[in-house]
Amino acid sequence: MGEVILAMPGQWAHDYREKADHYTSKIGGLPDWPDLDIPVSGKLLLCDFCGGKLCLVAQIYAPLSMAERSIDERVIYVLGCMKKDCGSNPQSWRVLRLQRCKQDIESKDEPLKAEQPEEESTSVAEDKPTSQSSSVKVCDDEDSDSDIDLDDLAQALEQAATLASNSKKQDGTKHTRKIVEGPVAKKLIDDLTTPVLPCFYIYSQRNSSEGRMDKANFVGGSSISLKEIEKSSGNESEGESWEGEAYEYDKALGADRTYLKFKKQLDAYPEQCFRYSYGGNALFPVANVPKLGACKICGSARRFELQLMPPLLYFLQEASDDSSNFSIDGWTWLTIIIFTCPKNCCSGTCDEKSSNSCRCIVEEEAIVIQDD
Amino acid sequence: MAERGDRGGFGRGFGGRGGGEGGGRGRGRGERRGGRRGNKSEEEKWVPVTKLGRLVKSNNITSIEQIYLHSLPVKEHQIIDTLLKGLKDEVMKITPVQKQTRAGQRTRFKAFVVVGDGDGHVGLGVKCAKEVATAIRGAIILAKLSVIPVRRGYWGNKIGLPHTVPCKVTGKCGSVTVRMVPAPRGAGIVAARVPKKVLQFAGIEDVFTSSRGSTKTLGNFVKATFDCLMKTYGFLTPDFWTETRFSNSPYQQYTDLLSKPTTKALLPPTEEPLQAEA
Repeated sequence: MGEVILAMPGQWAHDYREKADHYTSKIGGLPDWPDLDIPVSGKLLLCDFCGGKLCLVAQIYAPLSMAERSIDERVIYVLGCMKKDCGSNPQSWRVLRLQRCKQDIESKDEPLKAEQPEEESTSVAEDKPTSQSSSVKVCDDEDSDSDIDLDDLAQALEQAATLASNSKKQDGTKHTRKIVEGPVAKKLIDDLTTPVLPCFYIYSQRNSSEGRMDKANFVGGSSISLKEIEKSSGNESEGESWEGEAYEYDKALGADRTYLKFKKQLDAYPEQCFRYSYGGNALFPVANVPKLGACKICGSARRFELQLMPPLLYFLQEASDDSSNFSIDGWTWLTIIIFTCPKNCCSGTCDEKSSNSCRCIVEEEAIVIQDD
Repeated sequence: MAERGDRGGFGRGFGGRGGGEGGGRGRGRGERRGGRRGNKSEEEKWVPVTKLGRLVKSNNITSIEQIYLHSLPVKEHQIIDTLLKGLKDEVMKITPVQKQTRAGQRTRFKAFVVVGDGDGHVGLGVKCAKEVATAIRGAIILAKLSVIPVRRGYWGNKIGLPHTVPCKVTGKCGSVTVRMVPAPRGAGIVAARVPKKVLQFAGIEDVFTSSRGSTKTLGNFVKATFDCLMKTYGFLTPDFWTETRFSNSPYQQYTDLLSKPTTKALLPPTEEPLQAEA
């Protein structure tokens, strides 16, 4: 429960507007809504502060397995506003939790299988839902891999060989453009009005702490060897002894102890895009923590689920140098911490007797932004 | 208890793939846009965390004086590494520090490191850790985070480059006060061995010092000298009497430039097959 899972950056999307499925975790791009009874209302996609359209910052597939029930169809969308003043304002950010609240395992299999042919997997690292439904209780991914690799591999190879001809991003080394026949790129979402951030996919990694941190510290680049230290300590003249030293907490001119601890965790895995730890502890860069509200529906106190980290901003900024219409330079946050309802309640319109595909979309409001 | 059975499922979404770490990262790096074809090893690649770090990495800020001008806090030591290339470091002292616990004494090591380029920039770092090497590495990083500019001036004739402190300044830490007085050329640094090192790294050639208090606590002595050097730029001399012309801080400078939305038309998706066939 207390373990932290880090999200490391994976492949870039060939086109920022390409369609994935709601089982993909990605940063940027356009949100992939699963089949909903009621489509997502427009009001949820608008910024509270300036009224403009929100763009998708992160889409995280976060199924849960709790003691009494497991929710496999649970996706969290983090939406943000790219206007200048809205960057650090908690009102301009929105976190949506979308889940299918049906606990019945048998009834779940059918809609999942029906969705399979529609979806196009984008990277081999992504899991197919069959592995999910077949291993609800036991997390046994070794067996399910064999089911999916051949199809996936063929698709992935085909996509790697055919570069999308509408790649807007210029690099130093241009890709050779090939003339392609047949299906070129992935399906694109037909929505030109919403601002779109550069899109890349995420793979997860466990946080294996101690060994990495020492290695990361070594980057500091010491030009001193231990022999020199012994030599210098022998050079002391008499009457000069360093007395009365006591333990001192880390301190620098611009950085205090809390921030240095935050930075230490970041240095262990410098590319982490977000940290996921359901019910665990958040990593605060600044000591004072604002108070959180309770869940609007059930009233229980919210619990930490995940927090976005600054390398995400760096990757997005690198990709969107001058090719996009919108810029994220107004974002100066150090971390965005998201708290969700521990009971995973949904708005009371669905009851036990209703049919399988009852999906609820709930707005979570507990977002804490800690600024640079 | 429900909590015991809870398992956050984000990681489960991808499964605990054993090959995820090496394979995924390799895949990611190979395909990443932005031309990361140069072979940067994992250790050398710096992913900036703060806004200032991103500006420095993208070479929008080229000199550390821009940071000092607006008093921006430096939170990443790689910023200093990028902007000040000739920085040398030296360990001044490593002392064991003990704490009495029920199970005996716990010893940790405290390292004092001074960094400087000998030309007006100096930093001091103090770090306690269980191992000596960790303490030294940590102290170097903290020293780089605390690099300050040092103002130098003349004793008398303004011939040549500044060589001494611009005026009498004094710094204090604990019970130790250190006073620095301008000295003529050729006087050298007249100070005890320990603060002399700090002053050499700062690039001050001639100075008279006088100290007071329990200078045996050399930790405080060194910090008092450092505090004194910090104050050299804080002292208002008649040169600064003219009105300040304020300029935009780097944050605003670059945000204004880039936040204007360009009116580039997006290519509608239907045009792609035409291009492919052409």
